[in-house]
Amino acid sequence: MSAPLLSIADLKVRIRGNPQARLLRGVSLSIDRGETLAVVGESGCGKSLTSLAVMGLLPDGLEKSGGVIRFDGADLPVTDNEAMRKVRGRRIGMVFQEPMAALNPVFSIGDQVAEVIHEHEAVSHAAAMARVVDLLTQVQLPEPARIIHEYPHRLSGGQRQRVVIAMALACRPDLLIADEPTTALDVTVQAQIMRLLHDLQDDMGIAILLITHNLGLVAQMADRVAVMYAGRKVEEATTRMLFAAPQHPYTRGLLAATPRPGRRRPGEPPLTEIPGVVPAITEMPSGCRFRPRCMLASDICALEDPPFVDGVACHRAVSRELVP
Amino acid sequence: MRSISFILRHWTTALGILLLAAVILMALTAHLVFPGDPYDMVGAPLTWPGESADTLLGTDSLGRDMAAGLFYGARVSLLVGFASALVAAIVGVLVGAFAGYYGGWTDDVLMRITELFQTTPQFMLALAVVAVLGPSVTVIILSLSAVSWPAVARLVRGEFMVMRERAFVHGCVVAGMSDLRIIFAQILPNVLPVIIVMSTILVATAILMESALSFLGFGDPNVLTWGTMIGMGRGQLRDAWYIIAIPGVALLLTALALNLVGEGLNDALNPRLKQRKG
Amino acid sequence: MSAPRRNLPFRFIGKRILQAVLTILGIAIINFFLLQLAPGDAAEALAGEAGTADAGYLANLRREFGLDRPLWEQLATFLMRIATFNLGYSFRYGETISTLILSRLPATLLLMATSIVIALVIGILFGVTAARYFNRLPDRLISLVALLFYATPPFWIGLMMILVFSVWLGWAPTGGMRDITAPDGGIAGVFDIARHLALPALTQAFFYLAIYTRLVRAGMLEVLSLDYIRVARAKGISEQRVAYRHALRNAVLPLVTVVGTNIGGFLGGAVLTETVFSWPGIGRLMFDAMLQRDLNLLLSILVLSSVFVVIANLAVDLIYPVINPTVELR
Ligand SMILES: Nc1ncnc2c1ncn2[C@@H]1O[C@H](COP(=O)(O)OP(=O)(O)O)[C@@H](O)[C@H]1O
Ligand SMILES: [Mg+2]
Repeated sequence: MSAPLLSIADLKVRIRGNPQARLLRGVSLSIDRGETLAVVGESGCGKSLTSLAVMGLLPDGLEKSGGVIRFDGADLPVTDNEAMRKVRGRRIGMVFQEPMAALNPVFSIGDQVAEVIHEHEAVSHAAAMARVVDLLTQVQLPEPARIIHEYPHRLSGGQRQRVVIAMALACRPDLLIADEPTTALDVTVQAQIMRLLHDLQDDMGIAILLITHNLGLVAQMADRVAVMYAGRKVEEATTRMLFAAPQHPYTRGLLAATPRPGRRRPGEPPLTEIPGVVPAITEMPSGCRFRPRCMLASDICALEDPPFVDGVACHRAVSRELVP
Repeated sequence: MRSISFILRHWTTALGILLLAAVILMALTAHLVFPGDPYDMVGAPLTWPGESADTLLGTDSLGRDMAAGLFYGARVSLLVGFASALVAAIVGVLVGAFAGYYGGWTDDVLMRITELFQTTPQFMLALAVVAVLGPSVTVIILSLSAVSWPAVARLVRGEFMVMRERAFVHGCVVAGMSDLRIIFAQILPNVLPVIIVMSTILVATAILMESALSFLGFGDPNVLTWGTMIGMGRGQLRDAWYIIAIPGVALLLTALALNLVGEGLNDALNPRLKQRKG
Repeated sequence: MSAPRRNLPFRFIGKRILQAVLTILGIAIINFFLLQLAPGDAAEALAGEAGTADAGYLANLRREFGLDRPLWEQLATFLMRIATFNLGYSFRYGETISTLILSRLPATLLLMATSIVIALVIGILFGVTAARYFNRLPDRLISLVALLFYATPPFWIGLMMILVFSVWLGWAPTGGMRDITAPDGGIAGVFDIARHLALPALTQAFFYLAIYTRLVRAGMLEVLSLDYIRVARAKGISEQRVAYRHALRNAVLPLVTVVGTNIGGFLGGAVLTETVFSWPGIGRLMFDAMLQRDLNLLLSILVLSSVFVVIANLAVDLIYPVINPTVELR
């Protein structure tokens, strides 16, 4: 088997100058070419930080304090801004959560999409614009020749997200990172955008790192799923296996809280929320960080943070073989 | 008390308070430290600072004591600055409060008038008022408040427009409280911190404008001010530049002090509005 | 990237022009009542020192201003004079007041435009640098300099600059607009004016430079934290381009309006700067009118300067929607 397209090994991120404030505590992920990996977990568990670390775009005040990120067979120089500029937008495209705020209000759509092309390729303005029109067609925006002259405030949220996707795909990257690409959109638009991403992936053969807390999307899109909690990965499996036999109590909680179309029969218990919230970085419990919210917690859970073994990090995990 | 310790944590604010206290002290003690008339000749003309023990800061071309001028000038600066800021704040609060509270045509009319005063070049208008009414401390205070109130009115109007939508104001309306009581007893106290901060800056601006008027020779001829000293020193720029430098530095430090205090008050009184700053 | 372009609807333009006309009317009325406040005989107040010597001039003023007529007729006369640009005659200068003011206007405009450009360019550079080095040494130094410039009386800065650059260093002339010996036109003539312009323009610029620095810094800090800046970074473009193209463009747009509202301040400041540097503009003219107690000339300058401010603000209002595509026109 060839090396994965992207591999993240033991990634650690903390608040600069504060070794206590460990926001990511050794995250490991890998994605093959053309594959879709979903990363799920509640708000604040480190999904966005993981993707920003890959792009070398950690917010001011945070720093990568450990781990290796390899991309296409070479180390990714995430702390070298100049070197990363050649990767961003060209090899790895990124789509963010907030389409309404993602476009610069004072530049036209055409100029903003063309800017990526101009940054990475020596093409004439006319050639770039022609490609922008093609891209906008590809992301199924109506009247692309008109839209390139429009300004962002004239577009709806869904349309803007399509523009952002066009921007991320303009230079045919190998990897697309989509950080909650549809969370801010309403349900019908969500479905359209996800279908679009799916179709584009089939056409272009790109790998997708899909960050979401919507397990419904995961079921449709992903080949594999990684579940994160409080700055680390707690479970990983193929999508089918994860849905069929979740091992970590947190994963089971997430699944129980997710409506599955067509699966709910009369008499089935209603959706259950996991009790409590993700603890703040200053109030992390000892041992397993999920312990205060876990129904299965026992003494050992307070003593030691469980190692990640056989696809799960839990002292009390039910082995997959035992699941009927 | 908590806000005082808060203020002291910021050394720039502490510096501002110290400087301002020094200027106020100078103004209050002028007649004790220098019992004579500051216009009197006390030494040889154009004595450089440090040259004579009697006149530490030197004398001007007519042998008047620079230090005495500095002390008496502080009086005029502070009087004009604070008085005109006070008048401007009162007028501005009245106009802004009614415009913001009532909205509609009241707002339209009041804001149009405010706009007229803002459109006219401020310093030119102040000059014209002095030219028409004659230069006296009272007229100068009036002319400076005439050009400073619009800024207060705009600020207060904005605050009132926000406040009048608050639940507690609706409560007062429902309880049948009179408009005047709501405006002055309910909303105004909430807007006061912003007005106080703005007023500090107004004082600084007024002091600088007064100095400009008297520099040009249109100040009250009966009192000695820093601007007058600078204006009279212009002829000696080449050979006795200290005559200009000394009162100029006094002006700079006073305005600086007021700005620093204003920033400190802003941090202390408006924690909500606190900007990201160092 | 091409500049945004948009056509302004006529309704919008018409409304703004009507507003401007009403404002000018209001300013004229304020001036009229200011004149009414003058103690003693109105004609003598108007004439100032020039009038006391000449009885014919006083009679002339009475007739021109309709001073023996009822108040509302005087007001109508006053407004007519302004509307028809017939502002009277200055004995001292031997010219009509409108020609006098118009002939002094170019010098003031040159001074004002130069200092606005200086204030904007340095203010933007300072503001962007301060924001990019937020809370670090460059930010603190720039903020300190801005505070000092903000708190220093401009006329005093002018005098100190004359002391340093003219008296001590001999780099620039102490005042005036051109040397008598300098050629009238050509590159040498332009250079001569520029030499005279440098110090007064800088003097005028300092205060506004301080304001613009603070505004740009605050605007940049706000914009740099927005999502579209992160998106721009994710495209792989340089930090320089992110700051000066994506962020600055948004951070300086509000500055256009601020510069518009500062025009009046620049004109008022011109009285001081032009007096300190003997610059032959309307500011200096106003100072002379004050000295001679020539109220008519003084008020004429005040009204026309206000009209100029109104027109400048109208221009800004009309330009702003063209350069800022997100403004919705009402
Ligand atoms: N700039 C920052 N400074 C300090 N803490 C941060 C910063 N950005 C994110 N965090 C913290 O890091 C944790 C993970 O955040 P994030 O990756 O955004 O979560 P999510 O899984 O919702 O995308 C959260 O607890 C958040 O509070
Ligand atoms: Mg996130």
